[in-house]
Amino acid sequence: MEVFLKALALVADPQVMLVMVLSAIFGLFVGAIPGLTATMATALLVPVTFFMPPVPALAAIVTATAMAIFAGDIPGAMLRMPGTPASAAYADESYQMARRGQLTLNLGVNLVFSVAGGLVGVAFLILAAPHLAEAALNFSSFEYFWLALLGLSSATLIATGDRTKAFLSMLIGLGLGCVGIDPMAGHPRFTYGQVDLMAGISMIPTMIGAFALSELLRTSAETSAPLAPIGEKIGQLFRGVGEVARKYWVNFLRGSLLGTAIGALPGAGADIAAWMAYATARRFSREPEKFGTGHVEGVTESTAANNAALGGAWIPALVFGIPGDSITAIVIGVLYMKGMNPGPSVFLQNPQFIDAVFIVFVLANLMMLPFGYLAIRGAQQLLRVPRGMLIPMILLFCTVGSFAMTNSAYGIVLMLIFGLVGWWFEDHGIPVAPLILGLVLGELLEQSFMSSLIKADGSLLPFFSRPIAGVLGVITLTVWGVVLLGGLRNLLQTERAATP
Amino acid sequence: MRFHPLLLGSFFIALGLVYYALTLSFPAMPGQRFGPELFPRIMATGIVLCGALIAWKGRRQPGPWLERSPALRGRALVSFLLLPAAVGLYLWAADVVGFLPVAAFVVAALAWWFGERLWRAALLGVLGAMLVQWFFGQLMRVPLPRGVFMQWVEALF
Repeated sequence: MEVFLKALALVADPQVMLVMVLSAIFGLFVGAIPGLTATMATALLVPVTFFMPPVPALAAIVTATAMAIFAGDIPGAMLRMPGTPASAAYADESYQMARRGQLTLNLGVNLVFSVAGGLVGVAFLILAAPHLAEAALNFSSFEYFWLALLGLSSATLIATGDRTKAFLSMLIGLGLGCVGIDPMAGHPRFTYGQVDLMAGISMIPTMIGAFALSELLRTSAETSAPLAPIGEKIGQLFRGVGEVARKYWVNFLRGSLLGTAIGALPGAGADIAAWMAYATARRFSREPEKFGTGHVEGVTESTAANNAALGGAWIPALVFGIPGDSITAIVIGVLYMKGMNPGPSVFLQNPQFIDAVFIVFVLANLMMLPFGYLAIRGAQQLLRVPRGMLIPMILLFCTVGSFAMTNSAYGIVLMLIFGLVGWWFEDHGIPVAPLILGLVLGELLEQSFMSSLIKADGSLLPFFSRPIAGVLGVITLTVWGVVLLGGLRNLLQTERAATP
Repeated sequence: MRFHPLLLGSFFIALGLVYYALTLSFPAMPGQRFGPELFPRIMATGIVLCGALIAWKGRRQPGPWLERSPALRGRALVSFLLLPAAVGLYLWAADVVGFLPVAAFVVAALAWWFGERLWRAALLGVLGAMLVQWFFGQLMRVPLPRGVFMQWVEALF
């Protein structure tokens, strides 16, 4: 109780409140504009939060991302262009609803179900995280090794698209993580006398490049025709939402739970949660033929799922330091920078910060109601902001933000390199998120692997001898086995089909 | 610049081999069987294998070895190249000239290229650079380069 009151005092600070309001506006803006993603918003926020104490820094990120994930629904309905990838699953359905004159209902449903779904995700975060942290207190290097490996593997194997390319991206990220001083022997690797490289590949400029600059490069090549949102006047936003809630409460519950679970899975975030929830809604619907014509059922389930996933993603991030999605990958970087190394120790040493994060999550989701309402009202003007003004300003923020992380041109150079690499990767169907995941988890994976190997004196048997390590090891190897067998079978089938 | 899968896979095989080769100079950890070279070598092996798999799976795909990405033609290509060029210009000039003028110029030039009218682009450049200077420079105390411009401003006032 004392810890909770301390946390409440931390959050009730006017600076935190101001930061939350400004981040909400920022998040709504970034989320509502197609081409700007929630991950990009987080990456751009990091240089700003660098100079803040831990609670306002985390509050900024939590609020901005919660708002951005909801705000992506607005252009989805008005323009058929999702504002963020998390809204892509039901953007078409929302647009069809808008074309049938149900724009107001769609936006009202999106708002209310996003808030409610987000709160479910947070509830699970608050309930599960402390218990998992207690279990994690007994973890040794063996458990952390399997956990990090399982987290990395599930991130690449859940990825849509070519798994080989996702795996390759992850390995490159892990390889890049080896640049710098070796964690076990203290030997400089791949540094070539460069002082900057001895500190390793700086995470934040790399993320800004890979997520923000690469997206800008993609957007810059598109036509600069101004966007033309559906002109229907937005009426009473909450009218009809109650009836939808009464009719589709099962969808809401299923979407929120599924979203939380998928968010908690390392590497799978709000976008995958939304796609899976939409598919589940159609699968279990009594009126599946209506999907695609402007039917609200799919929207209720997916819009709750993507906001729930945000809370779920923080569970492995806070407890194990393993990101649940790309946003929490960035958050982990921020936590390290603030000296709040994620893991069970932060629950022991700074429980008031953890409670403060929980409180901020609840507040951010509640704030979504008034802020989202205003964003919807202002959306038709917002969507007319010309690209010509956005692109240069975002580029400037990326450049200065990267500079701020290293106080030298090194940050800017990293941003530039990984912006181009990120763009080139995505052009070849190689996802960039596993690379960042590899970079974030590389040190944890190598350190736990090498210390376990040294403890086991080179033998692999002790990796399975502890009960939790054994279970995690078997799960990881089973997952690998299933995927490798499936991949091998596909390969053989394609070869057989190709040879006459 | 889009690579044919065979070329792409070969590129990553080469990358993995180079990465492995670079670990050959790492010293052993005294008293231990495995040293700083183990983890990078495992990664390098994985990269080579993935590259081989990509090349193998895509070897029958029709198409040229190298082709320009279809989206990057004409004006779109210039738009694309302008962004890294702008960052390059900033890297080259900001330290000497100063943050404010270089940032203002870059923002204004890009805004104009992406369709804004000249006066609006110029206004955005100046206001945008000043906003960033205030936010990052004054508020966050980031040491943005002062350059010749700030010396000149200070001499004037």
